[in-house]
Amino acid sequence: MPRINVLKNVVLVALAIIMVRLFFIQIVEHDAWVAKANEQHTLLENIVARRGEIYMMDDGEPVPVVLNQAVYSVIIDPAVTDKEGIKASLEKNAKQYVTADIDEVFATEGLRYYIIARNVPHSTATKIAEDGVEGVWFQKSNQRVYPEGELASGVLGFVNADGLGQYGVEGSLNDLLAGKDGLLKTISDINNVALSIGNDNVKIPAEDGKDVVLSIDRGLERGMEELMAANVNSTAATNAAALVMDPNTGEVLAMANVPTYNPGNYGNVKDASAYINYVTEVPYEPASICKSFAFSAAINEGKMNADTTYYNEGYTVVDGWRIQNAEQRAMLLGNITMRTALAWSLNTGSIQALRLLGDDPNSINQTGRERLYDYYYNKFRLGQATGIELIEAEGYIPDPNEGYGRDSTYANMTFGQNLGITMIQTATAWSAVVNGGYWHTPTVVKGTLENGEIVPLEGEKVSEQILSESTSTMMREMLINNRSYKITYGIDRPGYDIGGKSGTAQTVVDGAYDNTMSQMVGSYIGFIAPAAQKPKYVIMIKMWGEGQALSGGEAGGLFDILSNYVIDYLQLKPRL
Amino acid sequence: MAAGLIVIYAIGPMRANVLNSTYGTDYGSNDFFFGQLRSVILSLVAFFAAFKLIPYKYVKRFAKPILIVSLLLSVLLWILANTGSSLAKCELGECRWFNLGGFSFQPAEALKIALVIYLADFLARKKEENVIGKWKEFWLPLLIVCGISLFLVVIAQGDLGTGVAIISIIFGMLLIAGVPAKQYLLMLAIVLAVAVGSVATSSHRMERVYAWLDTLSGAASSDSTYHIENAMLAIGTGGFFGVGVGNSVQATGYLPESINDSVFAIMGETFGFLGLFAIIAVFGAMLLRMLKVADHTTAQDERLLVVGVFAWTLAQVVVNIMAMTGLVPVTGITLPLLSYGGTSMIFIAFAIGLVLQLSCYTSREVNKNEDISSRRGIRGTHHSSRRRSA
Repeated sequence: MPRINVLKNVVLVALAIIMVRLFFIQIVEHDAWVAKANEQHTLLENIVARRGEIYMMDDGEPVPVVLNQAVYSVIIDPAVTDKEGIKASLEKNAKQYVTADIDEVFATEGLRYYIIARNVPHSTATKIAEDGVEGVWFQKSNQRVYPEGELASGVLGFVNADGLGQYGVEGSLNDLLAGKDGLLKTISDINNVALSIGNDNVKIPAEDGKDVVLSIDRGLERGMEELMAANVNSTAATNAAALVMDPNTGEVLAMANVPTYNPGNYGNVKDASAYINYVTEVPYEPASICKSFAFSAAINEGKMNADTTYYNEGYTVVDGWRIQNAEQRAMLLGNITMRTALAWSLNTGSIQALRLLGDDPNSINQTGRERLYDYYYNKFRLGQATGIELIEAEGYIPDPNEGYGRDSTYANMTFGQNLGITMIQTATAWSAVVNGGYWHTPTVVKGTLENGEIVPLEGEKVSEQILSESTSTMMREMLINNRSYKITYGIDRPGYDIGGKSGTAQTVVDGAYDNTMSQMVGSYIGFIAPAAQKPKYVIMIKMWGEGQALSGGEAGGLFDILSNYVIDYLQLKPRL
Repeated sequence: MAAGLIVIYAIGPMRANVLNSTYGTDYGSNDFFFGQLRSVILSLVAFFAAFKLIPYKYVKRFAKPILIVSLLLSVLLWILANTGSSLAKCELGECRWFNLGGFSFQPAEALKIALVIYLADFLARKKEENVIGKWKEFWLPLLIVCGISLFLVVIAQGDLGTGVAIISIIFGMLLIAGVPAKQYLLMLAIVLAVAVGSVATSSHRMERVYAWLDTLSGAASSDSTYHIENAMLAIGTGGFFGVGVGNSVQATGYLPESINDSVFAIMGETFGFLGLFAIIAVFGAMLLRMLKVADHTTAQDERLLVVGVFAWTLAQVVVNIMAMTGLVPVTGITLPLLSYGGTSMIFIAFAIGLVLQLSCYTSREVNKNEDISSRRGIRGTHHSSRRRSA
């Protein structure tokens, strides 16, 4: 029957077409489809390493100050049908975490994956999950938590949205803290759940980051920051930076910047300069503090001692420049000792030290400049990174034999101008001046915490004697003399040796020193020791403010407060 | 059926997993396997009932009531769906199932077999009366019955796939009923025009057509091409030998309807070109066998019934596979005996059982000299084993 044959032909033709088509898809195009399938099915995922936590010391024990918290990114498939459900669930539960305009995301053609919210806490993520809306899934990650708030933000730094440490130890020790991410390559189902199907699955486990213990004392740091903030509020200063270090080891016990910020909300900072740690990152002119270095150099070279005298006219002329003392009272004119010159911070005194270094009491010469450079740059390591575990600026020390007006430049360097050095360089060098002559690499890190044990970091630490014991003793004696009147005023307590040196720096305005003295930076550095013993702590302070004339006087005032606080907090016993 | 069972056993847990995680449902790992096993057992029961227990003459006697009951079920479903009753089960906005507690029932499947049985009887009678091709005695009642059926399935239930199967059944049977060629072609043209028109006026259907055209031309992927693309991806990754049972990745959620309408694609991934060739060969042999049975059947109504079942099976097999291979737009139609879905499997098993019953009568008449019982025995095992391998 012919009509049956029509149907027979329909069957044969249809099945033949299908077989040809299948042959084409399964045999001819096989490789292309496999490639496409791999693209769709392969889950390539970083196994995120746990970032190391950060500890400070408190009562001799490490205590955590930077922690991790599990947070979730919410990912949506904008192409799903229940767009309203997704939107409602997100708006109900996680409105403040949503990072994009949901409607706009939905309107984007061809989008199947979008991270709609970040840093969603576990409880909120659970609520969204409980709504059970189709096309929503989660990715776990870790968020940094700073339970101490603004404490030591300049030392700690923060971790940015990409998980990269910025500023502070988060930035400088990022590799150590971050560890190494692992890799997972696997076939996955549509919800990105790894499957055991497939042969070329790869899993490289993550290496977790190390927990780092800082040498910073949490309680000392907090108290110091509070005192600094109060002091800044009561003076013309808008900013202050300070550190407390053990001059015998280079270990930093406190390092603070005011104003500070909360690393957990680092994005709320309006001016990025708030992130800067002025102790290590900004070279400046500590001014007369540097007289300690010029004096040490001349004494250590045997060119002078505390009782060496010179004729003080109240000024001196170098390269045709008249350099004046800030202090002009009549009793200081005439023959005075170097001890007096340091106590009254006379520029003529430190310039005299430079002349004596060149073996010519009447003029500055090449030998003097070269010797001062050798002490400043090579021995005190000023103008060089110290090697502390933080982001550091190098600064600069002018070359003794290059440039115009070398003598006046070097004359200025004796009282800490015409150079650029950081607070940490200054404090480390100054520690050598008072600790018996030893330069120790400064450190803020005690080590990594492994199974409850503190393991010191690898890396070379320098401990080098750069001054003789007797030079250091003589310098201590003069520095104590500088502020011995503070005992009379009841500021420094009996039973302690407290020495210090102030510095008031003119600032450079339009490429030249501003002689109107309308904006100045005040610094102070001092040590604390039980009477007749080696210094236990060195404290350095810098105070400044835009358009404000701060002096070593204000910084010294803050030192008075901090030195007494350190004695009390660290329970340094007097020796009566 | 066995192959379908194996595949569903393998991918059922994945399907359950995907549904559970996506919709928060609570399917067990083997729920789909046992669901399919239940369907297979019921289908075998239906098949043997149709083959051995229910003689066609009884079935024929109830052709009209069966059709009326089937149509009423569809009407009832329509009413229930429109009144929002929980007895109507809806998916993706289309209400095609009765919700009967533990299981669901799709009346459109019943309607297909009812239509085959009814039309076989109707057309045979009209042929006897010699009124085929006459407007009042033939076309009018035919158009009313078919029109109502198509309306209920395509419009009320939004089931274009079943609509295509019904049209295939009607035109397959009309062809064999001996409708004059001119009228037949005219009617075919009208139906095609209506079909094209209804597709063109429905944005939902046009989207599928555009998606299909996009896939053919290899244009950029989009949501609408997702289904076809992933079906072809599954088939393509299968290669010559397939990835093996339990290794289908596409079944883990990438391919929509992986256990129902798209099971052919998963089979392509699992068993490869070789496996699909075998499946198609079995379907081809089955379809050609039906035509042979029809050819050898002298009773007009019986022949038409066999052709109806043939056209039904052909439509489902060809449209499903062609959709999965990107040859025609996706319509949502099951692959007979292999797809997950109880109603469809049971009814088609019943229909094939009827065909087999008729083929036995046929063979008895054709080969009068042979021993009936032995003949029957051989036939029986032959067919059922073939079906198992499918």
